[in-house]
Amino acid sequence: MTDTLIRPPVPSEPPPPPSPWRPGPVLAVIGVLVAALLGGNFLGWRDRFIGAPTAAPVAVASGRQATDGGATATSAAPSGATAKSVLRSNPWWQGVTTLQGTGSTTTAPVAIDPSALQFRATWTCQTGHLTVASNSRPRPFVDSSCPSNNVGYGVDKGSVTLKVTADGPWTIKIDQQIDVPLYEPPLPAMTSPGASVVAKGDFYRVDQVGQGTVTIYRLPSGTYALRLDDFFVTPNSDLEIRLSPLDAPKSTDQFANGPQSALVKSLDVTAGALNFDIPPEVNVRQYHSVVLWCEVQHSAYAAASLS
Amino acid sequence: MTSPSTTTTVAEKPKPHVRIRGKDIPVVLPNRRDPRLRLSAIIFTLQFLGQSVLGFKLSIAQILVTILVCGLAEGVMTYRSAHMLVWPASGILTGNSISFILRASGTKHGDWWSLRGIQFFVLAAVVSLLAKHLIRPWRGKHLFNPSNIGIVATLLIIGPARVFPQYLWWGRYGSGPVLAAMAVILFGGYWVLKPVRMHAMVTAFLATFAVVVGIYALAGRNFVAIWHQGPISGMSYWVDIVCSPELLIFVFFMISDPQTAPKSPRGRLMFGVGTALVAAALLLPQSTEFGIKLSLLSSLTFTCALVPFIEGAVARRQARAAGTTPATMPARRRLTAAVLTPTVVAAAIIALAAPIDTSTLIGNKGVVNIERGLTGSRNPQ
Repeated sequence: MTDTLIRPPVPSEPPPPPSPWRPGPVLAVIGVLVAALLGGNFLGWRDRFIGAPTAAPVAVASGRQATDGGATATSAAPSGATAKSVLRSNPWWQGVTTLQGTGSTTTAPVAIDPSALQFRATWTCQTGHLTVASNSRPRPFVDSSCPSNNVGYGVDKGSVTLKVTADGPWTIKIDQQIDVPLYEPPLPAMTSPGASVVAKGDFYRVDQVGQGTVTIYRLPSGTYALRLDDFFVTPNSDLEIRLSPLDAPKSTDQFANGPQSALVKSLDVTAGALNFDIPPEVNVRQYHSVVLWCEVQHSAYAAASLS
Repeated sequence: MTSPSTTTTVAEKPKPHVRIRGKDIPVVLPNRRDPRLRLSAIIFTLQFLGQSVLGFKLSIAQILVTILVCGLAEGVMTYRSAHMLVWPASGILTGNSISFILRASGTKHGDWWSLRGIQFFVLAAVVSLLAKHLIRPWRGKHLFNPSNIGIVATLLIIGPARVFPQYLWWGRYGSGPVLAAMAVILFGGYWVLKPVRMHAMVTAFLATFAVVVGIYALAGRNFVAIWHQGPISGMSYWVDIVCSPELLIFVFFMISDPQTAPKSPRGRLMFGVGTALVAAALLLPQSTEFGIKLSLLSSLTFTCALVPFIEGAVARRQARAAGTTPATMPARRRLTAAVLTPTVVAAAIIALAAPIDTSTLIGNKGVVNIERGLTGSRNPQ
């Protein structure tokens, strides 16, 4: 006996529509979601993978001579416990140390700031031959007959030991090139009794961006000094601080075709708080504005009216 | 003798086609009456002014590459779906609009053949075309304005470190080049909007936006822009935003896209007012020009996603007025059906992410530093 069961045919139902959630659309939705998170800079992803709008905050420099091997905060620096800044200056040279010796030696470690762009060795030697190499690069960056003097450059960072091979006495001055703002405290003479503020002004844009205040002090010695605070100007390597008889120069042409200006100093640092002695031959009272001038570009970057 | 009567058969004008591998492929050439050609003419005129007298930081190469990518992509996608070679008027317009508004940081005016940041223009073009052809959750048509979504996505994803939108103002108030550009925009607005009957919507946007931004100006709001010394506040705040050529471009030539705006007059009014209110709400806390421009653009991304709801509301209202019941599914079933669709989910993510991501720019010190010009050569807007 067979127990084959003959089933009646089941009416066929239409197959269910295919799910729209196939791998392709699912991946597309995930892509949209990731893009949405990236667009909101969620967890700092955009800054990390594509680029932050500004440079990372770094400690500002406290002086033209490095202490503890690098940048440190001072009372002139921006407020805040960390005294860090996202602003960047035009690269400038900060003194690190001066080494002296006679004959060959390996120096004590020299601390080059990890954020430094490069360092330079300004050297002099008296007799024979001088070579200087860093611990990590055997090829010397100084290799010269003596007596002579010149400058060599290196790109090592951190703790750098110099291997000096010499036949006589030598001197090597080490500077590091950094681009952090410099916040110098006011000169002692600016705050001593007898000092007075004779003029002050705020920077405004001319051809480039400039901000901050300029203050001119009459020092107890009878000379004058100029101080820049909360200062920033579009970085360039050929800027000058000039005093102008114009009340408020508005354009390069107005300044360049106006009355004779007086040079105060070249501007190597373009952000921070800075002091400059005004040359004694400059009669401060003849001038009514300060102009940040680039002779190479023939352009007035920024200016401040003095009052 | 009479002349024999003749029956003449009017021969149909042969439709243009090309023969490829033995297959006849219809060709659709540009139509002189196509309003998109008018809009393209206006944008090209403004591009010419931008390259010659307005100092746009945009290269001819960037414009051409963006238009080429959009045109080719549009042509290929249309061919794949319709098996026709169609003049890519929409693609060209999208590419032109993207290159008109998007900027790559560091591009200098007059550097005409620079390809700087070209990848960002290509990204915007690709996003625009993908969104147009893939995100069609409603009635089989695209939801988002293609150039708008491409620009918003690129500005948000790439960020202010590398891209920025064209400045609100293109020169000094009343200067010759700016007056010429304004004349082109106003004439173009009339010329382009008339055939598509968008004047009411544009007016609704401008009136609402002007009033709300005026209140902000009176309340002391301000913003910083790279082209201005110090914060912009008071009357300048209002003028620099509401009367800016960039805003007029946005209103006349972007939100008025007939493909993505509602069809009904009442829906268009709601759309205009709604976009203005969303834009104003987004820009209220913004303190940078970058944030304000993104607020404007993101508002449209958001409200484009509301168009199906606006149209639905208008249809229900009309049905009620006519005493009929619109044949629609219950709301819960509609919602359930919708969330099961990847395109709807993607559209929802985009619509919400645009304003939310724009809001993350509030208080972003990096953007403020860029707008104050304190980043030097790192990010030279």
